[in-house]
Amino acid sequence: MKTKFIIGLLAIGLLFPINSIGQTLPSGQSIADKTHARNEGISMSRKLTMELKDKRGKVRVRETTSLRKYFGDEKRLAIFYLTPKSVMGTAFLTYDYPDASLDDDQWLYMPALRKTRRISAANRGDYFLGTDLTYEDIKLETRISRDDYNYKTIGKETIDGQECFVIEGIPKNNEIAKELGYSKAKLWVDATIWMLRKADSWDVAGNHLKTIEIKDIKKVQGIWTYHQIDVKNHKTSHETIFRIHDIDYQNEINDDAFTKEALVNGL
Amino acid sequence: MKNQQLTATKFFNKVTSHYKIILTLSIVIMLAVSLFIPKMTKDTSYDAFLPKDDPILVFRNQTKETFGLKDPMVIAIVNEQGIFNKKTLQLVHELSDRLKTIPGIDPDEITSLSTENNIVGTDAGLEVDPFFEIDELTDKKALEVKAAINDFELYQGNLVSNDHTTTLVVAEMLDSYDKKQHEVYKSLMALLDTYKSHDEQFYLAGEGAVSGYLIRYIDEDAMKTNPFAAVVISIILIFAYRRLRGVVLPNIMVLASVGIALGAMAAFGVDFFVITNGLPVVLIAIAVADGIHILGEYYETAAKHPEFTQKELVVETMIHMWRPITITSVTTVAGFLAIAASSYMPPMTYFGLFGALGVFAALVYAVFMIPSAMMFVKPQLSKAYKPNQKIDRFGKMMAFIGKLVVKYPKAIIAIAFIIIGFGINGASKLVINEDRIKNFQADEPIVKADALINKKTDGTSYLDILVETPEVEDIFDPENLYKMEALQTYVETLPHVKGSISIVDFLKKMNQSLNENNTEFYTIPDNRELIAQYFLLYSASGDPTDFDNYVDYDYRLANIRLKMDTSEYAFEKPVVDAVNTYLSQHFNNDTVKATTTGKVTVDAYWINRLGFNHFLGAGLALLVVLLFAALSFRSLWAGILTIIPVSISVLFIYTVMGILDIWLAIGTSMFAAIAIGIGVDFAVHTVDRLKFLLNEKGLPIKEAYNEFYKSAGRALLFNFLALALGFSVLMTSSVPPLSQFGFLVAVAVTVSFIGSLTLLPAIIYLAKPKFLTLTKK
Repeated sequence: MKTKFIIGLLAIGLLFPINSIGQTLPSGQSIADKTHARNEGISMSRKLTMELKDKRGKVRVRETTSLRKYFGDEKRLAIFYLTPKSVMGTAFLTYDYPDASLDDDQWLYMPALRKTRRISAANRGDYFLGTDLTYEDIKLETRISRDDYNYKTIGKETIDGQECFVIEGIPKNNEIAKELGYSKAKLWVDATIWMLRKADSWDVAGNHLKTIEIKDIKKVQGIWTYHQIDVKNHKTSHETIFRIHDIDYQNEINDDAFTKEALVNGL
Repeated sequence: MKNQQLTATKFFNKVTSHYKIILTLSIVIMLAVSLFIPKMTKDTSYDAFLPKDDPILVFRNQTKETFGLKDPMVIAIVNEQGIFNKKTLQLVHELSDRLKTIPGIDPDEITSLSTENNIVGTDAGLEVDPFFEIDELTDKKALEVKAAINDFELYQGNLVSNDHTTTLVVAEMLDSYDKKQHEVYKSLMALLDTYKSHDEQFYLAGEGAVSGYLIRYIDEDAMKTNPFAAVVISIILIFAYRRLRGVVLPNIMVLASVGIALGAMAAFGVDFFVITNGLPVVLIAIAVADGIHILGEYYETAAKHPEFTQKELVVETMIHMWRPITITSVTTVAGFLAIAASSYMPPMTYFGLFGALGVFAALVYAVFMIPSAMMFVKPQLSKAYKPNQKIDRFGKMMAFIGKLVVKYPKAIIAIAFIIIGFGINGASKLVINEDRIKNFQADEPIVKADALINKKTDGTSYLDILVETPEVEDIFDPENLYKMEALQTYVETLPHVKGSISIVDFLKKMNQSLNENNTEFYTIPDNRELIAQYFLLYSASGDPTDFDNYVDYDYRLANIRLKMDTSEYAFEKPVVDAVNTYLSQHFNNDTVKATTTGKVTVDAYWINRLGFNHFLGAGLALLVVLLFAALSFRSLWAGILTIIPVSISVLFIYTVMGILDIWLAIGTSMFAAIAIGIGVDFAVHTVDRLKFLLNEKGLPIKEAYNEFYKSAGRALLFNFLALALGFSVLMTSSVPPLSQFGFLVAVAVTVSFIGSLTLLPAIIYLAKPKFLTLTKK
């Protein structure tokens, strides 16, 4: 039932932009809503490699296995580190609650200590595990926020051969801007599959902060899936490349995998 | 000799025939080269004292690059009632925020209580949070910040003074503002001015601020000393000749000399350094000398030969003068070149090279421009030189000195020996020292700020120690961390080292935080994996770039930063030596290596060379001058005699430096070579003139002496006054090293002058050297 609904929605989405050529562009808010309506599967496992590069070109590579599952609107994410050897077995777990007023819960299991440590609630604008994405970016992944910005659709451009709507978002108020660390965002959303393909953001002082590129998007088990994200921080010249492979939506992951106990036991 | 004179006559006949074109060319060249001067850039950084490819400097710059270290602007906020209250912390926050908008400041590299994170252990984990959020700041919260700092050893003395009255806001500059630090300094001072009405006091210092302040400071100084020198010289010229052309012509030479030297510097893209500020004044004093001698000769000839046409007068003057002025200019050039050749430090090398160029330009203008310009005017007499051969009071004074010399030659030589004795003693006790903050007078705001920050906090001088391990993540090896900890414990016992920071301090704090804040756990965890996991845990709530200044991205290199409360070489050098000894005895092995670097190390290294460079430069200058004088007079004896007065003058200065406690520093170390190059002129003129009077004119010795003192002696007196007063003008400089340099050269020139007119004739009188034809009659 739900799948049919989504396919239907996708079909409308597919038709809508074609009809609107030369006509009015869809509102930013409606585009944001569409990115949330996309099917992301219920559970997913994948190999996630994080390549962190500092401005002098030195690289830290961290290979992980990452599990994700939706519990209703609540998203749970577990990351198990495989390399480097010194952090092998370290595991990170986060519960993202849909209610923005609720702080997310996060834990890190440190095998050398044989203890799980709770990590203080991160601000939405804090950097995620040493990468250039913030906790909020990770939470949204390829969707765009429905509540934080006033959007304006400014045109259409082609990225990787795909037509995208270009929208500009300004945080609804200073409070939000400070929380997110952004004063402006420019977003390229695929007009066909409603997936974010590129994002530029500016810091609170108005400096060009980051460029995010979501690449190598193809269907895996019927679900549109990205295989690489490049993030470049223009202020620090720090870069992160996320590479994703061995994606599996079909083997349903047990709820118990997303518990503190599971972190200790590893995969 | 006859041939030579014939050639000279021909030459100056040609010059005076083409005077219009020569004068035009002279002025065009001078203006064209001077036009480059506005392009000149200033470099007041200490790094400028080493060649860009010096391995020590290269290594330091690599370390700076690896860890993102920069020369900071350090603002101290002082509240005698204590800084842990809502109002003061609010100020810290506001200032840190407003700094981000100042052009030239890197908005991401501001360090203060409002930007830094506190690491706190909670019952379940680790929190990395700002010390305070501005929205939640209350007096009660301020007291919590105080407790947090008390619990965070790393920031005590570093971010907040131990007595809690001072807190620092450190701002780093963007690389693109190199050499424009004065603009940033100005903006910061303007910003701090807006807080004048507050109870808190604000101070601005740090490496970046000192550079910025210095750029403006030397500018203002140059605006003051250079015109002053020109005025002083003009007054001397008025006294000497009491004629307009006697003032104007030497002044044009001065303009040519200074304009060409500085213009060429700018054209070649050479920076203007602190000591370069002394160059114009030095050239003013030197360049005017040739003009004085030529005009002296001119007016004397005019008095003797009222029948001469202007052309005859000018040619006759130049025939007599070209030799001595060439010799004296060449010896002065030799002095400057000796500095260039002996110095390893670019600012001094350039001082020598462009000083030499300036002196050479003065010589060329003396030979070409002065005779050409004189052709535009009619013959003229000076009141100072009367046709009836009467001499004025300056001439009389000099003649009196001549009589004394002939009367008491032995006493004069005895005095010389006493001075030599004291001088050698003084030279052996010379103190080599340097302190950048001593470039300013003691009451300058930057000096006060520097003193306050050094007194209240860990200090403004940095010594960095780079630790290198072989493999990625080897810094996590507890063995290496223990070694770093032991090294830090050792260095903190050294005098003037007030504190040190490394990744070890953060790690110990994390360990403590993760163990219920139990102080027993303020230690390095004994487990490599655990350490790696701590850093991963930290990254879950801290910034990815938080430890950039202390550890590289592969965790292979680490930086230990020591802070010292002094920038004086005498205190820095022993610390660098002690650390190096410790490193080779207790730290370095086949796999792990540590190297000292940072400002303190670089200073200790190059200032150490000052002493050697000084004696090398002085020796070289003496040698060149000796060779040149011996060749021109075709007698080794004459050469040796010529350098006796300058040698004594330099020895005399060593005694003066000892008595007045003047350091052999950057500025002062150049005095000897310059004093030799300039001071030898008196001896050259003396020997040249005596040789002429004795050998060519064949005068008996006493008569020759009398003739020498009243004419050449008089010109030398004005030459001496111009030099001594010119260099004295440097004494009015607000840059103490320049003012000391001016003082020392002025004293040395005085001693050379006295020596050349007393000791030298006395020795000749007694020793009767063979190169002079001495008839008794």
